[in-house]
Amino acid sequence: MHSAPTPHLDVATPERVALTLPIAGIGYRCLAWLVDASLLFFFWLVAYFAFTLLVSDVLGVFQALSGVGQTLMVVGVFATQWLYWTVSEVFFHGQTVGKRVLGIRVVRTDGSPVGVYESAVRNLCRAVDFLPMLYAAACVSMLLTRQHRRLGDLLAGTLLVREERIDLDKYTAAPAASVPLPQGTGARPLSPEDVELVLSFLSRAPGLAPEVRQRLGARLVERVGPDDAEARAAVLASAESTEAFLRARVQGER
Amino acid sequence: MATPLPAYVAQRRTDWDALQALLAKQRSGTLKLGELRTLDTLYRRASADLAHAQTFYAGTDVHRFLNQLCGQAYASIYQPPRERWPAVREFFRREFPATLRRERGFVGASAVLFILGILLGALVVLWEPRGAELLVPSGVRHYVAQGRMWTDDILSVAPPNSVASSIATNNLTVTIVTFALGLTGGLGTLFLLVNNGVHIGAISALCAREGMLGGLLDFIAAHGPVELSILVIAGGAGLMVGQALIDPGELPRGQALAVRGREAVKLVLGCAPFLALIGVVEGYVSPGDLFPTWLKAGLGLVLGALFWAYLLRAGRTDAEATGVPADSAS
Repeated sequence: MHSAPTPHLDVATPERVALTLPIAGIGYRCLAWLVDASLLFFFWLVAYFAFTLLVSDVLGVFQALSGVGQTLMVVGVFATQWLYWTVSEVFFHGQTVGKRVLGIRVVRTDGSPVGVYESAVRNLCRAVDFLPMLYAAACVSMLLTRQHRRLGDLLAGTLLVREERIDLDKYTAAPAASVPLPQGTGARPLSPEDVELVLSFLSRAPGLAPEVRQRLGARLVERVGPDDAEARAAVLASAESTEAFLRARVQGER
Repeated sequence: MATPLPAYVAQRRTDWDALQALLAKQRSGTLKLGELRTLDTLYRRASADLAHAQTFYAGTDVHRFLNQLCGQAYASIYQPPRERWPAVREFFRREFPATLRRERGFVGASAVLFILGILLGALVVLWEPRGAELLVPSGVRHYVAQGRMWTDDILSVAPPNSVASSIATNNLTVTIVTFALGLTGGLGTLFLLVNNGVHIGAISALCAREGMLGGLLDFIAAHGPVELSILVIAGGAGLMVGQALIDPGELPRGQALAVRGREAVKLVLGCAPFLALIGVVEGYVSPGDLFPTWLKAGLGLVLGALFWAYLLRAGRTDAEATGVPADSAS
């Protein structure tokens, strides 16, 4: 039943509670980088066209501005190369745009948010992590370290944690009331594992193939369902009634 | 006996939602003082809920949800102090020069390596002129063969302000890479320092052979002292990182790296504005003969002296002056 433990960060808060934050692996990080990189790429594209407009000066009105334009171009390229990452990590709680889209954030190894120095270190080290090409050094480092950190993270003492989108509605969703249900069968109280199992089945059921849906539903009914054979047969008559029963069984716990 | 899971969720969920809403407000910066107290209360309650979930609902989505919620609240509540302008001023008034003085051994080592490189390059070219073919870039050799300074053309192709900014950003990139290559155990930094030294040495020796040393000195006089100092300081930062990697001392290697990295990056961040300023000098003053040589040399000496006076004197406290070691970053 237990899957292999995913890498996580343990934090002991001053409130004497142990937090366990899941760590973002290489896949999340690559995707976040891709988002950021394409964003910067579009910025460069726009800047480039603005720049060529200034320099080629089709309209003849930018003569005096072209020098300023060149300066802005050079400074802009520099800013997107080095400043973008640190500024956004410091001001937006450890998240660049790409990290926000992917739901990951940079924290120190003790779980506290990053400061200017940590962010500066990890982002200045992008130059080395990029070597020899396309973040090869960073990828090797992420694959070898337990908490998926690249060289810049090792130097800065930071790592990336993941934020999952967890839907609590599934616990409290109202059961579909149309199907008649066998009553008084919930003799045995359900354990949290049972509830979790049933709920994850229910949330996934609409996407399953019909026979798989039927079979899994039947196995769950076997686990949590009514004990006498008649009631069970009634419940198992169709996929709808099975699921309605399971939902009611979980909801009936309140 | 614990309450059944769905009932527990239904019962506690309003508090969690309220906490989430407050955290979103805090993030967008619209949190009011009264709400802050509510945030604190809700965070404590969520912590208690998390402890409850750890015991009774371990491994469920509720547990994971509370973990994450408390993690976000923890990050919001225990934020590092925001660096604002006073912090920046304090950094340049005291922290940066103090860090440099504390780590003078590394900066000194970096300077020694750099000077060794210069001597090596100069000696090779003076001794054996054909060595220049190996050590001096072909573009520069081409110019020297024609008896012209390659720097004369810098200004004629682009307006000076863009020259200045591209020089400044280029120097910043070199500085950053010199520091970051410390991650190769200091080898990369070592290579860059010696390599840059060899280049400079070889080019000066070649110019001296061709009787153009005056022209070269004329070009580098104004910006050279500060720019080369900054390269050496960045080299020192890189060596610090390398040392932490190779010899972490009593700390675990990861922690040693993080502590030393924080210190080393101060040297790089501190140098950045000076590098931008010296880029302006290099772009406007150094090329061409707009300014007489004595003025350039004078400017270079004054800037270099001011820079080092700042580094060695700024924010000195009595404790430091009497040789009590300042506590390193904890």
